[in-house]
Amino acid sequence: MSAPAPPHYTSVPAWAREPVVEPVDHAGTSHSVLSVGPDGAAAAAHWLDALGCAGARVRHHDCADAAQAVDALETDLADALVGHRVLVAGSAQACLAVRAAAVRAGLSDAELRVAVTTVDERSVWCVHCHATNSAAAELEDVLACAGCGRTLLVYPHVSRRTGAHLGFMVDAEGPA
Amino acid sequence: MSASLSLVVLDAVDAAPGVRSLSLADPSGATLPSYTPGSHVVVEIPAGEGRERPLANAYSLTGESLHPDRYSISVLHVPHSDGGHGGSAWMHTLGVGSQVQVLPPRSAFAPVRPASRHLLLGAGIGVTPLVSHLRSHARWGAPVEVLHLARPGQGAHLDDLVELGGDAVTLVHDRATWLTILRGRLRAQPMGTHLYTCGPAGFMDTVVAEATVAGWPAGRVHLEHFGIDALAPGEPFTVGVDGDVLDVPSGVSLLEALEEAGREIPSLCRQGVCGECRLKVGSATGLLHRDLYLTDDDKAAGDCVMACVSRAQPGADGRSHLEVLL
Repeated sequence: MSAPAPPHYTSVPAWAREPVVEPVDHAGTSHSVLSVGPDGAAAAAHWLDALGCAGARVRHHDCADAAQAVDALETDLADALVGHRVLVAGSAQACLAVRAAAVRAGLSDAELRVAVTTVDERSVWCVHCHATNSAAAELEDVLACAGCGRTLLVYPHVSRRTGAHLGFMVDAEGPA
Repeated sequence: MSASLSLVVLDAVDAAPGVRSLSLADPSGATLPSYTPGSHVVVEIPAGEGRERPLANAYSLTGESLHPDRYSISVLHVPHSDGGHGGSAWMHTLGVGSQVQVLPPRSAFAPVRPASRHLLLGAGIGVTPLVSHLRSHARWGAPVEVLHLARPGQGAHLDDLVELGGDAVTLVHDRATWLTILRGRLRAQPMGTHLYTCGPAGFMDTVVAEATVAGWPAGRVHLEHFGIDALAPGEPFTVGVDGDVLDVPSGVSLLEALEEAGREIPSLCRQGVCGECRLKVGSATGLLHRDLYLTDDDKAAGDCVMACVSRAQPGADGRSHLEVLL
């Protein structure tokens, strides 16, 4: 990480600020490997090699988008046992969405590894109209909400439950 | 620290060989503070009758946790020959009407509420906090499974386990069978399960080792220690405090040495569990951490020490010294 995270960034994983490839957790007894998009598939290839060499039990899902990966993970985790690990490769936006599904299914952060290919796009949830925006934005950028048109601050808080950033009207107290 | 409660023994029964179950109540019959399942109380045991100094023994609460009219504990008598310090022997002398000073409940072993299922692994008197967990899970309808190891014909609260847990409870009386069942059950828990274990140190070491092999991350494994087993007396060292240098001989703890020099150090369990006597360390030739309280990260940082059990280790020049900041 180039610069330490400001103290109020506690809910933003380091990997949602800068791309990173985490290593396979060989303590796992079985693994779900989910790759999202072509870049994700390329990043996951190293994991699949490492797991293949170790003779691990692996379920691999090559997914077109995050929604497909979430569906695949929910199916996997429905009958997964403790000892299972989840590895997600793709954009930070996709990894956050898949992590949210993992958290909802009772997975802990220690059981999840990511390979993040880009952090350019983020999901931003509008607290005013509840629309979820998908946009190229940095943390603390502003953007126009696609749902209500308000100018939203991309606040450095990520929901573990949805994977979206908190967005709220930045100029609420400014002159109309 | 909270003020202690003056309680009287309402009920005392020999529940199993070597185990005495006591109910402690307010003399006026007032409701006692509620507590989180898995909590314990610390009973103050006076000095005398062979006890050099007052003791503070922790006992898990086994009864109703919500607006309780009594605190129920079960005390295993640990003889001197097994490393006992005389506290449990004193507890066994208590009868109906005896007065005791008790610190309010402390929670260090709570059920993880978002867990989808709970696996309770106990041995011997380690059943006590697990009974409290099971009582809570039965009330809330939380999925739970119990595997308990007790010597044949021994063990308190086995009837409570069966009454509260029914078919979810497996009682085992020999270690080989227990290990076989444990290995199977550790590999059959749905994602979202948390594991809780309480028993002798060697038993819990086995649980942790087996869980690790079965792929359980540390965050899903929760331990309740009784206290550390009898420790080696340790090598002598010196401690610096405010410019004074004190000797800490073999067999004397850092805490005792500081107390004898007139330093007031908050302390409670004196066995490396409760966390009360944590001291800041300015510098040290090396630290021998022997407590169960500090995290691995705390220990690696080298800037704090539990005075009741931990000691200085020799540095490159062979000298053992540490500076504490009070």
